[in-house]
Amino acid sequence: MKKMNVRLLRMITQHVGQFIAISLVISVGLLTYVSFTMAMVNLENSLNYYYEVSNFADIYVETLKVPEKGVVDVMELDGVFHAQGRIQYDVPLKVKDEDEKVTVRIESLPTDEYKINDLYFYEGTEIKDPNKDAYVYNLFANARNMVVDGKIHPQILGEEYELNIKAFVGSPEFVYLMENEQSLLPAPGKFGVIFVSEEFAMNSFGMNGYYNQILIKAEPGTNLDILQERVEDTLDRYGIKRIYQKKDQLSHRMVYEEITGGQKMAQTVPFVFLLVAASIMVVMISRTVKNDRISIGVFKSMGYSNKEIVIHYMKYCVLIGFVGALIGVTLGALSAAGLAQMYTGFFAIPYLKIRVYPQYLFGAVLLSGAFSIGSGLIGARSVLGIHPAESMRPEPPKSGHRTILEKTRVWKYISFTEKIVIRNLLRSKRRFVFITLGISLTYAIVMVPMFMTNAFGQIFSDHYSEFLRMDYNINFSEPVKDSALNDIKGLVDYRVISPKLEYPFEVEHLWRKKIVTVVGMPSSTDLYRFKNLDGNHVRLPSEGLFITEGLAKLLEVQKGDWIQINTFIPGRDDISVEIIAVIDQSLGMNIYMDLPFMQEQFLEPNIINGAMLTSANPIKDELEDVPKISSVQSSLDLMGIFKEFLQLTLASISVLILFAGILGFAIVYNSSIMSVLERRLEFSSLRVMGFKKNEIFFILVRENMVMTILGIILGIPIGRAMLYGMAETFSTELYSLNVDIPLESYVASGLLTLVFVLLAQVATYSRIHRLDFIEALKNRMT
Amino acid sequence: MKTEFIKVDNLTKHYQMGEVIVRAIQDISFTVKEGEFVVILGPSGSGKSTLLNVIGGMDVPSTGQVVFNDIDITNFNDRQLTAYRRNEVGFVFQFYNLMANLTAKENVELATEICEHPLDINEILDAVELMERADHFPAQMSGGEQQRVAIARAVAKNPKILLCDEPTGALDFKTGLTILKLLSKINKEMKKTVMVITHNAAIGQMADRVIRLRSGKITDDHYNENPINPERIEW
Repeated sequence: MKKMNVRLLRMITQHVGQFIAISLVISVGLLTYVSFTMAMVNLENSLNYYYEVSNFADIYVETLKVPEKGVVDVMELDGVFHAQGRIQYDVPLKVKDEDEKVTVRIESLPTDEYKINDLYFYEGTEIKDPNKDAYVYNLFANARNMVVDGKIHPQILGEEYELNIKAFVGSPEFVYLMENEQSLLPAPGKFGVIFVSEEFAMNSFGMNGYYNQILIKAEPGTNLDILQERVEDTLDRYGIKRIYQKKDQLSHRMVYEEITGGQKMAQTVPFVFLLVAASIMVVMISRTVKNDRISIGVFKSMGYSNKEIVIHYMKYCVLIGFVGALIGVTLGALSAAGLAQMYTGFFAIPYLKIRVYPQYLFGAVLLSGAFSIGSGLIGARSVLGIHPAESMRPEPPKSGHRTILEKTRVWKYISFTEKIVIRNLLRSKRRFVFITLGISLTYAIVMVPMFMTNAFGQIFSDHYSEFLRMDYNINFSEPVKDSALNDIKGLVDYRVISPKLEYPFEVEHLWRKKIVTVVGMPSSTDLYRFKNLDGNHVRLPSEGLFITEGLAKLLEVQKGDWIQINTFIPGRDDISVEIIAVIDQSLGMNIYMDLPFMQEQFLEPNIINGAMLTSANPIKDELEDVPKISSVQSSLDLMGIFKEFLQLTLASISVLILFAGILGFAIVYNSSIMSVLERRLEFSSLRVMGFKKNEIFFILVRENMVMTILGIILGIPIGRAMLYGMAETFSTELYSLNVDIPLESYVASGLLTLVFVLLAQVATYSRIHRLDFIEALKNRMT
Repeated sequence: MKTEFIKVDNLTKHYQMGEVIVRAIQDISFTVKEGEFVVILGPSGSGKSTLLNVIGGMDVPSTGQVVFNDIDITNFNDRQLTAYRRNEVGFVFQFYNLMANLTAKENVELATEICEHPLDINEILDAVELMERADHFPAQMSGGEQQRVAIARAVAKNPKILLCDEPTGALDFKTGLTILKLLSKINKEMKKTVMVITHNAAIGQMADRVIRLRSGKITDDHYNENPINPERIEW
């Protein structure tokens, strides 16, 4: 081996801690890049394959009631490959624990040979008795410990049915199973899907010869927007509640949001880490070159060229990059499969299409190579300026001048060691800025998980405690007279009860359209607490509507504008309504109206399809046998689901904190080690003066503490800016993240940052301890 | 044997130090024969190191000319100077300047790896009597041993000239003598031209020729009729 390389390897062995610390930063960056990029590609491929083999529908139509002829009409439309009618309703499920509220979606199975949204069989056999057998959605069955050949008891229109579980199945439509847009999170034990024969569904729901949904598979290459319009025209007379394309299908959208989020992560996080690693390497190499001034002079005197010497130092970075890439790419490739597997499990995708994509592995190696070669070149460029003859002479001491603080009276009262600390900080400005910025970045990254936990908690508490004040939401299976409220009042123990009317309608402004749930309630109700964007409480007006902020942004409307609401209800015209206020709502997109105004516009007076109430006691038992109640949702259950979700996210939070820790540790550890090496003579002089090793160590600690405190202070605005960016990026149509960080999060992030800095500091202690001060004073070896 | 192996002609070297111009060498001219042992004597600041650096291609003159083996190196660019140092010159420094994390042998190999006609490393280590210490690191060796490694490193490249900057400056008398004996041996047995700069006038007794410098100018330039054996030098 070339002796220059031998020297390099021995240099690395001497500073192996630094080497590992920087390699780790690179490996974390590349691990994130490789694992997330490949996991997202694998996830997308697995999903697409699932869609392909299961004939995932291109268009979904939800109607009030459509006869078989309606399906035939759609089938005959140009661009339609196949159309399939089905019945789908949400109903309560009778379970052992009487206080537990479980809802199931009953979905009829197609009778055609060609099946849209074909089921995947995990376990079990086919339905034999169409009136007694059913399939159950796999994740729901597992969550509820069901067994094949067991029984399940849905309550349809007030009547309990006993069905035999013949198989556990998956459906491309429920890859991510959520009850509705407002759910935010899946609750596999609380909401499930039961697939029954068409015959059973028609009989039990009283829909003989009718469907309430149509699934459409388009011919390849068909323009879905145009096809959607044709379908709307064809089915208009049956009353279309909702029509949407695959891209707006809830499960599909949620998975794609996750994929997009993962891709964004793969595009941003690695670069932060690689940039930090590159900065550390630039500083490290430029300081090594400075310290090696005489060696470089000797190299040049022997006839080594500038190029050879620059490459010698650049190789230091290349080796760091190589080891970082090796660890990062290997772990990334290994975890990509695991990550994709985790995702496909989480998303209920039965097909696992996992492949290693060499282009991403090479990409990661190239990235690492580019960053390390770049930082090596930048760091070692000062080699060019070293004049061989001059390098043999001792470097003149840095020009000293009084710092600003020294010109004040305060200086007199500062102890000698503190003076050393202050002078050092103010005289090595670049180092000062570098470490301070590094610590502020660590602080900012630590803030992210703190914020995420808090933000989701905030969304839920804002939505379910502040905004929604009811304990239960009751949904009727069909519109009823408001006198039905009296039946409920007679059955349950309530404090406040209020009727409501809730329908998904398409709202439109200029060319922008969106299907959202329009909710009507008495303006006097306290069960919704509307706040306008100024934070003031507002009450529903007797005419006009409230629109949520997210929807207003989407439609590009504001207070005072008029928007059109397209009704699916036969015999009713689309209407135009004025926006009275834009309201703040963290979860979901809605439109709110006064109940009588909504009844008048869309139905008839006194017609409702739901109720909401507050009650100190469980109400499930009491409502069990009431026909026409399709579901009862409890706010408490939703909060419980959220708490489970938080537990799950704790793992990913700790990973982020670990990453931030590696970053902070690497920055402070490397800087401290470099400091010790550079200031050997200074420390040796202090030793000669009688300073103990510990006292010298604490000079370094104090310097770092000053930078840590400043770094944390600077980290607050950096972290906030980062979080605002993230909130903007990660806010979706379903929820909007508000950057509202409590004091505890700032303090906790600060303490964690401090811990990382102290750990790095402790690691440098042995260096101080091992340093031979006397040797340092007399040594001229290079 | 060339009589004008090194020709220094009207050489001047000025440095800009802040607002002051330092005239390190002023209008110096002399020639050195091939195989000569030359000692350049002078106190600190006399310009002797600057002169050595210019001859060795470590520095460039402000005016004047340096011709080495019939080649004018004065206007060499950076690449040509590097090649010149690589193949023609061997340097020995006062503070040895060995690479701390390479063994004695590796320090020598570091130099031989890049030149065209290196000598056998083991022979050289044997010649400087360091064969047994070949695998020791500089920190494990005495000052004299380190300087012998430095000389071996310079000689192993098989340069045409050996330039030594205060080679005994950091050593005690006895060790200094062993180094001088070694340099004399290299000059006589290996037929290398050797230039030693020093402030120690006693070393001049062993040289074929002594050039005295003061304030950047030559004050004396004479040949020794009878150079003495380094063993007889005293200071």
